This record gives sequence, C-alpha cells and structure tokens, in this order.
Amino acid sequence: MRIATSTIFDQQTTSIDDLQAQNASLAQQISSGKQVNKPSDSPELIAQDLTVRNAVATQTQDQQNIATANGALTTTDGALSTLTSILQAARSLTVQGATDTLTSAQRANIGVQIDQLLNETIGVANTQYAGQYLFAGSANVTSPPVTSQNSPNSAITFSGNLESQGQVQVNGQTIPLSTTLREAFNYKAADGSADVFTVLRTLRDTLQNGTVVDQSSTPINATGTSILTSAAPGGPPLASTLGNAPLAVPLVADSGAGFSITITGQNAAGATAVVPIAFTVATPIDDGSATSVVGKINAATAQTGVTARFDQRAQRLVLSGTSSFYVKDVPTVAGGTSSNFTTAFGLASQADTVQNLSTQLGSIDQVLNAALSARSTVGSRINVLSNAGTQLAQSTNDSIAVQSSIEDVNVAAAVSRYSQLQTALQAAYTTTAKLEGKKLFDYIA
Amino acid sequence: MSFFGVDLAGSALSAFQTAENTVANNLANQSTPGASRQVTNLTPQQPIAGSPGNPTNVVPGTLGDGVVVQSIQRLHDDSIDGLYRGASASQNFYTTQAQVLTSTQSAFGEPSNGVNSAYGKFQTAIGQLSSQPASLPARQSVLTAAQSLVTTLNNVSSALLAQKQTVVSQASSAVKTVNGILDQIAALNGSIRSAAAAGSNPNTYKDQRDYLIDQLSGYASTQTAIQANGSTLVTIGGQAVVNDQIAYHLATPVIGTAADGTAAFKIGFEVDPNPANPQAISLGSGKLAAFSDLYNNKLSAYSSGLDGFAAALANEVDRVTQSGYDQTGQPGASLFIPSTGNTAISAGNITIGITNAANVPTGLLTTQAGNLVVPLNAANTIVNPTALLNANTSLNNPPASAGISGTLSVVVDGAIGLFTYNTSSSTADTINDFTKSFNSGHFGVSASYDTVGQRIVFTRDPVNTDLVHRAAEGATAPTPSFTLIDSNAASSLATASGANATSLLQALGAVALASVPQTAANAFGASDNGAVNALTTTFGIPVGVPPLQAVSASAVLTTTATVTLLPATSGAFANVQVGQLLTVDAQAGGGPPQETVTVQAVNRTTGSITLQFQNTHAVGFSIAATPTQSLGTAYGNLIARLGLDTSTATAGQSSQTSLASQIDASRQSVDGINVDEETQNLLKFQNAYAAAAKTLSVLNSLIQTVLNDFAGK
Repeated sequence: MRIATSTIFDQQTTSIDDLQAQNASLAQQISSGKQVNKPSDSPELIAQDLTVRNAVATQTQDQQNIATANGALTTTDGALSTLTSILQAARSLTVQGATDTLTSAQRANIGVQIDQLLNETIGVANTQYAGQYLFAGSANVTSPPVTSQNSPNSAITFSGNLESQGQVQVNGQTIPLSTTLREAFNYKAADGSADVFTVLRTLRDTLQNGTVVDQSSTPINATGTSILTSAAPGGPPLASTLGNAPLAVPLVADSGAGFSITITGQNAAGATAVVPIAFTVATPIDDGSATSVVGKINAATAQTGVTARFDQRAQRLVLSGTSSFYVKDVPTVAGGTSSNFTTAFGLASQADTVQNLSTQLGSIDQVLNAALSARSTVGSRINVLSNAGTQLAQSTNDSIAVQSSIEDVNVAAAVSRYSQLQTALQAAYTTTAKLEGKKLFDYIA
Repeated sequence: MSFFGVDLAGSALSAFQTAENTVANNLANQSTPGASRQVTNLTPQQPIAGSPGNPTNVVPGTLGDGVVVQSIQRLHDDSIDGLYRGASASQNFYTTQAQVLTSTQSAFGEPSNGVNSAYGKFQTAIGQLSSQPASLPARQSVLTAAQSLVTTLNNVSSALLAQKQTVVSQASSAVKTVNGILDQIAALNGSIRSAAAAGSNPNTYKDQRDYLIDQLSGYASTQTAIQANGSTLVTIGGQAVVNDQIAYHLATPVIGTAADGTAAFKIGFEVDPNPANPQAISLGSGKLAAFSDLYNNKLSAYSSGLDGFAAALANEVDRVTQSGYDQTGQPGASLFIPSTGNTAISAGNITIGITNAANVPTGLLTTQAGNLVVPLNAANTIVNPTALLNANTSLNNPPASAGISGTLSVVVDGAIGLFTYNTSSSTADTINDFTKSFNSGHFGVSASYDTVGQRIVFTRDPVNTDLVHRAAEGATAPTPSFTLIDSNAASSLATASGANATSLLQALGAVALASVPQTAANAFGASDNGAVNALTTTFGIPVGVPPLQAVSASAVLTTTATVTLLPATSGAFANVQVGQLLTVDAQAGGGPPQETVTVQAVNRTTGSITLQFQNTHAVGFSIAATPTQSLGTAYGNLIARLGLDTSTATAGQSSQTSLASQIDASRQSVDGINVDEETQNLLKFQNAYAAAAKTLSVLNSLIQTVLNDFAGK
C-alpha cells in the first residue's frame, strides 16, 4: 500500500496526541491520588460514589451526635446517682428518726437535715449540660426550671415539660436523649404517687412539726377495681358508698348494721377529745359533702386535730393529725359487736410519729425506686448508644473503604502504566524525528 | 532522410516536460489539504496514414508517431469520500460533544465540590440539629447549609444556562461558516460545469469542491450526487443545500418549541416561512447536529433533572417545616421558596425562606404534653400493649367483650383520612395493633404508646402521608394542626371506671381528642426535635422526583386520557417528565381504583399530561408523583447520566478520530502525494527527457553530417 507523505506525519501527530492525553490523565490520577476526578471517569460508579460520600458525612455527624448524647446521658447518670445518694441518706435519717427514744428536738434536727436534702434535690433537678437543663424536657427554658416556693420550702414550681429533650436516631431506632422530671423525680407520676420533693417535704414536716399522717400502707381497693373513679385526676369525687365500695377486705357491719369509729386526738389548745363518728352502708366515702366519711371526720377536726382525704390515685384513706391520734372501731349499739372499718380501710388503731415515719419509708422507697429505674434506663441508653457508636464507626469505616475503592487510584498500577506510556511517547518522538530525517531528495546528487 | 525522427524526439521532449510539470505540481501540493495526486498519462501517438510512421507502401512495419500526453489525471476515489465524510461527521459530532460536556461536567463540580457535597452538608447540619434542637448555633448552621445548597443549585443552573447560550452562539457561527462553504461549492459547481463543457478536465476545481464538501461534512451529515452536467448535488437530511449553482442557506439557530411545548433548539432553512419556529433540518451527525443534540437532549435534560431534584427537595423539606413549629411557638414556614414570586421551584429559582435561626421549625405537634389525654389504665394497673382490649380490666374504660367498631377520621390540611376500626379484629384488638394499623394508613398523623405515661400519643407526622393526601392538599401548604373524630360517641358513663367504652378514643383514654382540633394551644411541639427527625427520615426514603401533587379538572373514562390540571395547581407539573410514574386515586383516603400510571406525554403549551389508565376516574381525582427514589439517588442518577454522556462523547471522539484517520489514510493511499514517489518520477522523467534530448542530438548530428558532407560539394 502506498502511503502519502502527509499521512505519515498525521498518524504520528495523532498517536502522540493520544499518548499525551493518556499521560495527562494518568498524571492527574497520580497527583490527586484519585482515579475518579470527574463523573465521566466512572459513570457506572459515580452515583454510588456520591451516595457513599454523603453516607460518610452523615455517619460522621451521627457519631458526633452519639458523642453529644453520651455526654448528656453521662451527666444525667451522675445527677441520678447524686439523687439516689440523697434519697438513701434521707432513708437512713428517717430510720434514725423513727426511734421512740428520740426527743422532738432531736427529730427536728433530723428534719433540718432532710430540708437540706430537699434543697439538694432541687439543685439536682436543675442540672445542666452544655447550657441545657437536663430535666426541663423540651421546653425552651433559660432559667432553672425547678424553683422552690417559700422558705422553708412548701412547694415547687416546674417551668419545663415532661417531654424528651430530643431523640437520637440510630439505625432507625429512636433513643430519647433526656430523662424527664417524671422519670427521675416521680414528678406528676402516672399513678398519682408523691414526687421526691413532696416525699421529702412531708418527711421534714413530720420530723419538725410532729405532724402525724396515717395512711394505709397498701391500697384498699380490690384487684381490678377502683374506688371513686372520677372524670379526671383532681376532678370532683363521685359518691361511692360504704355498701358498695369494692374493697380488698370487705366491710362487715357491726351488730347495729352500722359502722362507728372513735377518733381520739388533741385540739389546738392541747385538750384531748374522743369523738365518735357513725356511718351507714349508704354513707358516701367522699362526695364532697359533710355527710360523707371524709366530711364527717373533717367536721370533727376542731376537736381531734385530724383531717381526712381520700387519695383516689393511691386508693388510700389518709388521715392527718397535728399530733398523735387514735382511731378505733366501736359498736353502734352498746354492747354489740364492732365493724371492721379500720381494717377494711387499712387504718392503724394508733397513729404516731414513729409509726408514721415508718410508713413514710415506703414513700421514700417508691421515689428511690423511680430514681434507680430512671438511672438504669439511662445506663441502658448509654449502653445502646455505645454499641450503636461502635457499629456506626464500623459502618463509617466500611463506607470510607467503599469510597476509597471507587475513588482512589492504585498508585503502583498507575505509576507503572505511566512509565509504560512515557516509553511509548519517547518512542513516538524518536520515530517522528527519524521520519523527518532523510528523503530521497537528499540522495540526488 | 527526413526530419521525422526529430519530430518523434520532439514529441517525447514535450511529453516528458509535461510529466515533469505534473510532478512539480504534485510536489508543490504535497501539504495542500484536499489536493489529489495527478499523473501524466502518456500514450503513443497514433500514426497518420501516409505519414513516415505509417506509409502506405509496404515496409517491414508501422513506425509510431512518437508520444503524446493523453491526459493529466486526478487520482481520486469518490467512493472513499463518502466513507470519510461519514466518519468525519461522527468525529466532529463527538469532539464537539466532548468539549461542551467536559466543561458542563466541570460546572457540576462533582464529585468533590458540587450540589452533592452541599446536599451532604445540609443533611449533616440537620443531623446535628436533631441532637441539639434548642441550640441556636445548630439552627443557624442548618440555615447556612441550606443557603449554600441553594447557591450551589443556582450556580450550576446558571452554568447550564450559560452552556446552552454558548451552544446556540457557537452554532450560529458554525451556520455562517456552513453558508460560506455552500456558496463556494455552488460557485465551484459553476466553474466545473464550464470547464467540462469546454472539454477541459477541471482537476483543481474538483479538488477544491471535494475538500469543501469534506469540511461541510464536519458540520452535518452530507450526501452527494454527481449530476450529468458535472455539478455536484449536496444534500443534508435528504434536503438539497447545493443544487448546481444555487446554495440554500441555513438559518441562524433559534429556540423554537417542540410538539410538546418544550423549548427546542432548531436549525431550519433561511427560506422557512416560520423563522421563529422553523421546520428543523435533520442534521444527522457533525458539529451542528452535536449542538442540537447537546441543547435538546443533554443540557436541557440535565437542567430539568436538576430542576426536578430542586423541586423535590423543596417539596419534601417544606412539607416537614410547614408542619412543624419554630422556637417561638409559631407554625413553621417553608425553608425553600422560589426566588421570584409564586412560581414553580427550579434549580435556578430557589432560595431560602427562613433567615432567622429561631424560626427553624424543629418540633412537631403531639398530644403527649397536651391536656386532652389521660392515662388509659385503671388505677393501679399497667396496660399490656399486646393484650386484647375487649373487656380488659386494665383499662379504665375497656370495650365490652363484643367489641366496638367504627371509623376514626383524621383531618389534616382539609384532607380526610378514614381509619376503620374493630376492636374484635386485628385492626385495633390491641394497643400495638391499633398503632400499627393506624400508622399504616399514612394519614399524616402517627400514633404511639407512651408506656410510662400509659397514654396513647398522636403526633403530626408529615413524612407518614400517603400520596393521595398529598395530592388532595394540592398547592395548599401543610399545617401543623390536625383533628381526630370518632364516629362513635363516648358513653355517657365515660367517667365511671370499669364502664364499657362505646368509642375507640374513649377506650384509649383519648375521648377528649374527639373533634377537638389539635393546635399549639392544646397540644405540644414548639421545641422538641420531631421535625428535624422527620427531615432526617425524608432524606432516606423514596420520594417523587420530580414532585407532582395535583387534582384533575376532568374525569377519565378511557384508558388513555389527557389530563388537564385544575387552574389552581397549574405549573405544578413544570418539572414532570415523560416516563415518570404517577399515582392516581379517586379520593383521599385510598381505596380502589388507585393505580400507578406512566406519563406518556407532557404538553407544556396546553398544560396537560397524557396518561395511560386502567380504570375510570371521577372528576377531581388526585395525581401525585410515585415515590421511586431518594433525593440523593435522583441526583446521583443525574450525575451518572452526565458522566456516561461525557464518557461516551470522549470515547466516541477517540474512536471516530481514529476511524476517520484510517479512512483518510486509505484515501490518501490513492490520492495522497508521496514525496519519494514523486522524486522517483522526477528522476524517471528527467532521464527520459535526457534520452529524448540525446536522440534529438543524434538525429541532429545525422542531419548535420548530411548537411556538412554535402554542403561543400
């Protein structure tokens, strides 16, 4: 085949251009360390590459979120640890106070200590992490959410809410970041039981003021029933009569088909009075009227110093006195049998400070359990996050590995190929130079 | 003795002189583009009867009359021209595409600095905010990332627009060049015709003409036919551009409209009666075809792909932010809004609608903290969410053992979702079954059970909304509030513990929610992280790209129908593409005949889309984009397409250049000039000339001998 002179040069030019383009591309790959520098470098993998890049970014952020969450949860754990210590101290003090040999002055001293513990719990409830109040819920709170009312404390106010402060989403699992005041301090508990502040306050008052509270230690309703259900907590009570109250220990009327008790207590002047109070099967337990069980007991408060209320949530009849008092079943008809009213309603025949303190140990245990339970929840969340963090770190590494496998150049192969191309390019240069050398013309003399 | 021999030698001198001239011409044109090699065809001069070479008397043989130049032939193979021009058209097509696409690719900045990276940073900022919903810096970084994302989208969109304009302007210059070439070919046709008519062989004109046609084929696929009069008919796409001496000029490219109303790049003839929207010439391959393809099928597709991504991003994110609450307790606004007025969002028409960090909506409305829900458990009991509800004494008001059935209506943004329940069936026989069945209705509200509070919690959940609801909402912005209505009234004994519930909400302790709109006043949601978590979810799930939520103004009674959207939602399908999957339904709340249909045609002039249905639909049926891919995947696919197009163009450029080069080499093997070969010819004819001259010299000496010997006698 004959070859035109210009073809020879054109072909050289084309092949040198081609080799130079390949060389430039390889040089870019080697200098950037990436074999995918633009989408056309790997159209089949670029979509995956973009996804993996974002996955690495979001997974790294998730890891940071977990680290933040871990910080918040660890601080919460510390706060709950302090809370349980406080409650355990309160419990010890209560046991100490529930000793008959202590004088009222000594009890008052213990009360002062309890008051300090109460103030400490308020401090714990206002624990902050990174400028945020851990137990304030999701409310936008800029000042301590739990504030003490009056001095000594008679109530607390809470400006936060009972929502979780935020959730971390890990692998589709939502992990609440914060512990609510309800979970940690039994605040506004679903079962209506007292919160940490109320428990400590009652304890303090009992120790300092000798206020006596008699409340049955266990609920008195039969399983699966409730006495005096109302529309909503705190709503108006409804008449549930003694005759049909679903009690765990059924009422047995006395020989006069009634229920009579006497309350022996002291009035404000310190005079002791014995007040008999009688009910019938039709007497409502607590309908707000003066003819109910609660109403009749309260009608005699001026003489006995004893007030009554029915704790609907706790399903307990609660009697409070300013000093020791006695409740006793008596027959309606002289010489007859007595009813079992005090047994059915779980009332002790004698209520005094010592016994009352012992009863309050149950309340302390309840809030202590709530705090411990909250702490164990926090612990398990820390655990879950720690596992998720490990897993996330692994999947981030995997994603980075995938990204690397798509993007990163095999330097050894690229350098080797580069050398090969260099050789070819040198050869092309040499060939071109030779071609530009002698022509037949040069030999014509 | 005659002078005949001198004549013979003279003819040889003349012929070899001409041959040397031809060689000289070849050598002179060795680097001239389009020049074909010429050869001097020599032939023996036919002797004339009676002449010394062909005497009529009997002699031993006929002596020739010397040599003559028969022709100076142009060595050229027209059949290879066609092959070369086809390859040249392809080469130019891919080269042009590679040039434009490489720069388009740079404009996208992937994989390091483009939209994907900005989108990733936006996701990361949302992720950070989800763990610190109250943090102002975290909120601010979401806004910063969103601003950066829209700026990147704007920039890429502008770059694409600029590329389109560049393509049009380059094509305009190319058309001017093409018209010049056409004029020259027409003129050469005239010259060739005249020369041929005069019996001449217009080799040079033919070289010039063929070279011009070669050049023309770099702009468009050309076909040629040699006419009887020697002129060449040149056609593009079957239409004559040069016929004899007439050149038909191409018109400057315009952006007209395609049949579906979309803007289309068109090159027509100058004589087209409708210059604003001419009949486009079928260009085949070449630079002009590349420009047309780039504008209509590449750059426009990337633009609409990017617009679809931007619109879907805004649609999904705004759906959540509008459903949320900001830090000041106000209903959330759209995070992404169009830059200009009430227009459809596109990559070039998107900006951020929230500038104050406190206004970033992070919370979703939930009944949990409201005052309308009470624990559903009876006193001193814990409800097992997997236990049957009927006659369950753990509940304050359990349904009777016979169970209750009815409908729960969920009203969100005016769209009503219906949840049919029966506490004796798996729809609502336990609390867990209820939450599961309720949530699978995709009403825009999700139910969950708070085991600590022993309460059912309803949360506005913009992610858990079915397409029918979305379509029913149409252009209306989502709102945070919602209402639940139980078809059964609560029992009059509602407050008595142990009394049997007569409505589901009553059994669930949520009777107070019935028909009471949940708003910021009675529910909760200003500053939790429900909305940012919903956004995080949105990024991972398939969504409709590009988005469409609209309501049809007409009924559908046939299988293929053209649907015109209600005026209120016109423009909603600005980004909808042919081939996209849509879900249509008769009404909100689901039920047959819901179906998935494919967009067969979009007419942007009339504002209608053509769909193939399987069922009939009443007036006002909803149309929504079927979720097919996540936002990240949609963008990734766009970039993959760009990458593939660029890679194809680059590979095509390389292979077609090589092919054209090979064909050219074949062509050159016929008509190309080889210096060595010409040198040999030079020597050959030089020697021949020298021999003829020697012959003449010898003959001359013979004559001289005669003249000299007899001169003095």
